[in-house]
Amino acid sequence: MYRYDQFDEQLVRERAAQFRGQVERRLSGELKEDHFKPLRLQNGVYLQLHAYMLRVAIPYGQLSSRKMRQLAMIADTYDKGYGHFTTRQNIQYNWVALKNIPDVLDKLADVEMHAIQTSGNCIRNTTSDHLAGANADELEDPRPWCEIIRQWSTIHPEFAFLPRKFKIAVTAAAPDRAAIKVHDIGLLMKPNANGEVGFEVFVGGGLGRTPHVGVSVRDWVSKGELLSYLEAIMRVYNRFGRRDNKFKARIKILVNETGPEEFTRLVEEEFAAQGPKEKVVLPDEEVARIMAYFAPPEFEDLPEVSQAFEREKARNEGFARWARINLRAHRTPGYASVHISLKPQGVAPGDATGEQMRVMADLAEQYGMDDVRVAHEQDIVLPHVKMDDLPAVYAKLVEHRLATANAGLITDLIACPGLDYCNLANARSISVANDIQAEFADADFEEEIGKLHVNISGCINACGHHHVGHIGVLGVDKKGEEFYQITLGGRADEKAAIGDIAGPGLRHEEVRPAFRRVIDKYLEVRNGKSETFIEVLERLGQEPFKEALYASA
Amino acid sequence: MSSARPKLKPDTPKAVTAWNTQTGRTVYLTSERRWSEDVLDAAVLTAPQDEEELAFAKGDEQTVTDPYFMQVKAEGGVDGRETLRETIRAQGPTNHPMFGKQAGSP
Ligand code: SF4
Repeated sequence: MYRYDQFDEQLVRERAAQFRGQVERRLSGELKEDHFKPLRLQNGVYLQLHAYMLRVAIPYGQLSSRKMRQLAMIADTYDKGYGHFTTRQNIQYNWVALKNIPDVLDKLADVEMHAIQTSGNCIRNTTSDHLAGANADELEDPRPWCEIIRQWSTIHPEFAFLPRKFKIAVTAAAPDRAAIKVHDIGLLMKPNANGEVGFEVFVGGGLGRTPHVGVSVRDWVSKGELLSYLEAIMRVYNRFGRRDNKFKARIKILVNETGPEEFTRLVEEEFAAQGPKEKVVLPDEEVARIMAYFAPPEFEDLPEVSQAFEREKARNEGFARWARINLRAHRTPGYASVHISLKPQGVAPGDATGEQMRVMADLAEQYGMDDVRVAHEQDIVLPHVKMDDLPAVYAKLVEHRLATANAGLITDLIACPGLDYCNLANARSISVANDIQAEFADADFEEEIGKLHVNISGCINACGHHHVGHIGVLGVDKKGEEFYQITLGGRADEKAAIGDIAGPGLRHEEVRPAFRRVIDKYLEVRNGKSETFIEVLERLGQEPFKEALYASA
Repeated sequence: MSSARPKLKPDTPKAVTAWNTQTGRTVYLTSERRWSEDVLDAAVLTAPQDEEELAFAKGDEQTVTDPYFMQVKAEGGVDGRETLRETIRAQGPTNHPMFGKQAGSP
């Protein structure tokens, strides 16, 4: 894992001290809210329905046990004992008092963390594949490049006042687990004709009011030229991106209004025009220095099959189910990646208590090579666990309600905080999520349904990624009543697609039975269990599902 | 944006609500021009007094942030189009009743 050098350390400490002064001036009345608001936003502090919310950056979703324990301490000391992991691999605290935030920032700085660039019109946290460095299908580890992008984009003066916020995601595996095509820039690591690894560059993806799938503007750019190329894109955006209308300011609108070909031409022109002094040249030693932090841990030479694992599977049905659903293959024999679901029945998706965070930190330290990841599905992953240790890990997870066997299934849904917390919301998301979870609470039935992604947002800002859920749910307000618009056929993977709106909105209490009818229809028409929901939808189109959705109960 | 709440008619009963600047907790302006965390303590206002009270709230920037009108019943208590939002603000998230105001402040 990357460790701060003296510059990182100094920057984070200075920012925390500066914000302490700003908070003091706000509390003394010297600073009015109008002046303070942009300052607090630059430090990740929002004002939500009930309280201030602090969003803390987790670069590319990676934590150590020490960092996770500190997040737990902050939840217990400064919040109400829990935190919320987000679709951008960050964590949010919902109840932090403004007067305490400077102390929280100091505590974060103690473990090399901060809240800088988690809000505002700047380059946000660069996200990545939560299985990076562990999965067999990856070309190479994308995290060093996320870190390089983080360093380049942090407090970059040219990109501190972009037309709108800007999100970058990087993956190095063909199955896209980082949803790169719905980011402002998505980077896919791949070889060129000579076998040299570089990046395919997608631009203009994004959700919100006008969802778009990113378009490929460059089939391949070398590692050495990556930052210069990104800089060319950012310059075109800074120059031509609209600043007159907040709703048209994202780069996706620019790409779309300019047309992908013309946009690409502008970027290539900017890239070609960069003089040698303008090029962001990465010294080899610096790349090597950063790479070294991501060197694979020392895996033991283990047999492919773990007897302890097999014995427990045969003995314990709960463990066997969890192993089937929540484990992911590791590139090293004898190891697995563990998906810890933060979606048990009746909990806000992505919420974890301080105690649960500490348990996950302990497990990472004891069994997981001190590595913890936040997945954009709002779950936690221990990427490197010995198969022999899985029974012990599972037992501990069960004790703390962290062993729900639903990774990738219908109840492992993504949901934003919605009207229970968010000041911009139209409708609740969490209660809809909990209703759907209750409908599919039977574990056998859920497993029978198979892979299915449900994404829920409480307003058109789409923090819950509803457009790219196989089934998406969007909360809307109709004369003071919550309604829910259903979209079908979205996907966030390598075949990224925006779902189509199925029809008129449903009342809150109608969503659960409507989901049941859609799933029953799927089970009726699929060609066996191996044909997933999204495959059937793509084969048959929306009609049968629309009919089921709106059939009266 | 908290300021972009629906516009209320002059004669609609309303209260002034805001956030405590120090803690971020939801507060309501009382008839004695104090700030209470209990929505039932809120002064029920109509024109022309309502604008005066909102102006007072806006001037009390050190104590509270982003004051605005919310609709209430003539006898007090949340009402109108934003009933759900304001009930959630008054009581806490519906999914975590134990994390509402009764759970105390960090
Ligand atoms: S999608 Fe809307 S309701 Fe949900 S967190 Fe984002 S802004 Fe809030």
